Amino acid sequence: MFIGQDITRVDALDKVLGTAAFAHDLKKNTMLFACVVRSSRPHAMIRKIDTSAALALDGVVKVLSHKDIPGENLFGAIKKDQPFLAEGRVRFKGEAILVVVGVTEEIARKASGLVDIEYEDLEYISDPFLSMRSPTLIQDGGNLLSHRKVIKGDAGKGFESSYVIVENTYSTTWIDHAYMETEAGIGYTDERGHIVVASSTQNIHYKMKEIARLLAIPPEQVRVVQATTGGGFGGKLDVTVEGYIALAVYHTKRPVVMRYTREESFLGQTKRHPLYIEYKTGAEKDGSLTAVEVNIIGDTGPYISYGETVCLRAAVHATGPYEVPNVLVNSRMFYTNNPVSGAMRGFGVPQLALAHESQLDEIAQRIGMDPLDIRMKNALKRGSLTATSQVLNHSAGLLETLKGIEPFWRARRKQGPGSGFGLGCMYYGIGNTGISNPSSCYLTFTPEGRVEMHSGVCDIGQGSDTVLLQILCDALGMEEMGIDLVRGDTDTSLDAGSTSASRQTYISGMAVCDAAQKMREYLEGQGYYSGKPLKDICREAAEKGLPVFNGHFDPPTTAPDPETSQGAPYATYAFATHMTEVHVDEVTGVCKAVKVHAAHDVGRAINVSNVKGQIYGGVAMGVGLALMEEFVPGKTESFDNYYLPTSMDMPEVEAIVVEDPEPTGPFGAKGVGEPALIPQAAAIVNAIKDATGVRMRRLPCDIERLKLALEKNKIE
Amino acid sequence: MLPKFASVIAKTREEALSWLSSLENPRIIAGGTDLMVRMRAGKQYSRVIDVAGVPELLTMTETDGRLSVGSAMTHARLSTSEPIIRNARSLAMACGLVGSPQIRNMGTIGGNLANASPAADSIPPLLIHDAVLVLESKETRRRVPLEEVIVAPYVTSIDRKELLGSVEINPLRGYREGYRRVAKRATWAISRLGVAFAIREDKGRFTDVKLAIGSCTPMPFRPKKVEDLLKGAEKNEAIITEAIRMALEEIKLISGIRPSYAYKLPVLKGILEEVLRG
Repeated sequence: MFIGQDITRVDALDKVLGTAAFAHDLKKNTMLFACVVRSSRPHAMIRKIDTSAALALDGVVKVLSHKDIPGENLFGAIKKDQPFLAEGRVRFKGEAILVVVGVTEEIARKASGLVDIEYEDLEYISDPFLSMRSPTLIQDGGNLLSHRKVIKGDAGKGFESSYVIVENTYSTTWIDHAYMETEAGIGYTDERGHIVVASSTQNIHYKMKEIARLLAIPPEQVRVVQATTGGGFGGKLDVTVEGYIALAVYHTKRPVVMRYTREESFLGQTKRHPLYIEYKTGAEKDGSLTAVEVNIIGDTGPYISYGETVCLRAAVHATGPYEVPNVLVNSRMFYTNNPVSGAMRGFGVPQLALAHESQLDEIAQRIGMDPLDIRMKNALKRGSLTATSQVLNHSAGLLETLKGIEPFWRARRKQGPGSGFGLGCMYYGIGNTGISNPSSCYLTFTPEGRVEMHSGVCDIGQGSDTVLLQILCDALGMEEMGIDLVRGDTDTSLDAGSTSASRQTYISGMAVCDAAQKMREYLEGQGYYSGKPLKDICREAAEKGLPVFNGHFDPPTTAPDPETSQGAPYATYAFATHMTEVHVDEVTGVCKAVKVHAAHDVGRAINVSNVKGQIYGGVAMGVGLALMEEFVPGKTESFDNYYLPTSMDMPEVEAIVVEDPEPTGPFGAKGVGEPALIPQAAAIVNAIKDATGVRMRRLPCDIERLKLALEKNKIE
Repeated sequence: MLPKFASVIAKTREEALSWLSSLENPRIIAGGTDLMVRMRAGKQYSRVIDVAGVPELLTMTETDGRLSVGSAMTHARLSTSEPIIRNARSLAMACGLVGSPQIRNMGTIGGNLANASPAADSIPPLLIHDAVLVLESKETRRRVPLEEVIVAPYVTSIDRKELLGSVEINPLRGYREGYRRVAKRATWAISRLGVAFAIREDKGRFTDVKLAIGSCTPMPFRPKKVEDLLKGAEKNEAIITEAIRMALEEIKLISGIRPSYAYKLPVLKGILEEVLRG
């Protein structure tokens, strides 16, 4: 048995020894260096570009513009709307305009500073409220990207019959992924004449297709390899350096390397969507929720990226993990000239968790109910209907996570003034929302008698390689890990989809199970399970060609109704409850998260250490989201003015793993990547209220905001 | 990217002084925690003299009741140095709060002073210890009080050709001494506010009070009028309230009203209350 064991990660030794080759480490002889010239304006027409000084610099090989793109100059994960290189107009500060290729990094960067660009400024649409009023259109179709509704029952009637109604506004800001490794990669032409790009990425097949479109060559002539990747969190789902590298290789016929500085990463890459959330909650005297009405307004920046995804996912998760008979959600996403907002761990759900968890605490306070009791009362459970009227037929362990927290909650004691405790719950649909999001893989043997797993899954540090191997070993009934992993390379693997939406354990895990099932039948026929050594089976099979077993899985979902979003957008959901103890220094406004109990229903923990690792990391990100992280467009440049929690800001975390097996998942597993983050900020904000009496509705609740709120509270 | 630059490593104080005298527009580097950051941001310093290993700058001596601290001593060393903890507790605490372990292992007290940031953690403690800087060039040697050396944020009266050799401080014994600071996160952060204090009390009276406030005005400063008010005064809430009022007034007098004061002044008030009440 490998499932449920703490198997040492297959990548651990290389990383500990420092021998793993991250994208930043990749080198080739005669390689050139490329860097991007970016817009210094948030919204402007480009009147003139003078590259003569850059080109005159010794060592500059090429300066490439949109005119040098042989194929389509548009990319996008959902819709193709963002130019690789701006054509006449820039729509955010940091938008790519040119690629400068030089013989060294120093020369390329120096040359990029010598490019002279004349702009004619257009109106800077700095927020979605301006965007909805302004006659200035950022995209031809108008400034509204997306409007999604969730309608269930009759919210108006629900409020009429409510004993208590709580109505508030919440807001969140831009968050940077702040991975340890900035975007980087290398490209070259191989002996077949194919374009090869190895990069720090969360998806290889998607990027292969984007490069093919950019260069107008068949995807078969593009090979994308995932280098060892130092974190993603959604930020490496969009095309980052890959397009520019491919374009530079195409024109120079030489290896080209790119690596963003931290400043470039801050300036050029996607952020978490800032959301404004108007939230109205109704409940009966006994705490049962009667109705929820939510109005979400989001800032997606000038291009789509994952804007529509976040718009919809935020809407369908708006009620939180509770049974609410009457729901009305309006979720709208507007274009602005702020940074492109894209995918980031949770796709809008952490923002909504802040709102629904704060609301629930206020309801509880108004009716004199314990925060844990009101959550237990309303918790989704097996047989419940979600906000989209999906029946939860299978794994739904929210109550078990609440029960896991209960002893600690009931035994909580304030440690003097400034001490407080808060709860946060969440549910999260695993995989993409209401669309097909399949994963494929294949298995074969080596002539020497080992199983070979070909996986297109990008392990970005979360440990999917190890988890998939554990799943395969158990699915094949192997007693030791006799498997070779061939991974992260479009030439040797099938499309597994992106490492996003907490989907790889569940979806790619099922694809592995599917392939394993076929291989197992073959092995059965060959006598493996009656004792014939694999070596012998493979030697014999090698003569007529080693067999290949494909695996495939696409979770069963239904497309949400376009008007009401009713339906079953996800095949399964993860659930969690966090309890956070904080200490607030009322003199300084410093809030320290002291201790966290985090209970997660993961279906089945394939690798307990991995699950706990995700929970610890998610809590750390939640601390940042709640207390300090804030990207200010035009101001934030680097870690100098972007505060990320350090180990000294980390609370002690006790992870509680709850296993309510999911029958459609591999050995019952669901996912935990994003769930680990989602409820933490809400739990912190609720704990601050408990500690100080002050309710913080705007994130981050940094020392200055908290102190000012405390002062204001004193006066009132 | 860090630009290319030429550097020499001085092995002795003499060598450092003669490089300073002979090189055109020289720059001194010790830990590099400020200089390298500026260079990476685009500043060009072409002649850099590394003094991190100069033995004379790494020693601490006690003479005539004054403590002389070598300018190249790191924050890490000072924060754990027994004589500093015994004689200047606030300085040891402040040095222990600078940046991160890496920065404390590289950054030096001399660099912190020469950089003259309004938020430099070592400056408020040094002010309450009446620090005097020993500045040497090949031809001259002068001793200047810290208050006179810093003339504006990030500007000092140290000549390009001068080397900050050491910092002399008055030990304070028998004081309740410390350093309180506020930052946006637990560590690796620039102070939003720093207060160094050394207070001696006897039979319900303040017999001596030394205060220095950093990160609030263009230069860290000692509210001397407040110190004078408290010296000899009976310790009670009324005098503490009055002292704090005066301190806040003095800040407004120095800097006018700044947006950051909406946060900083209430916090300073709270910290001074805690500090004075003890």
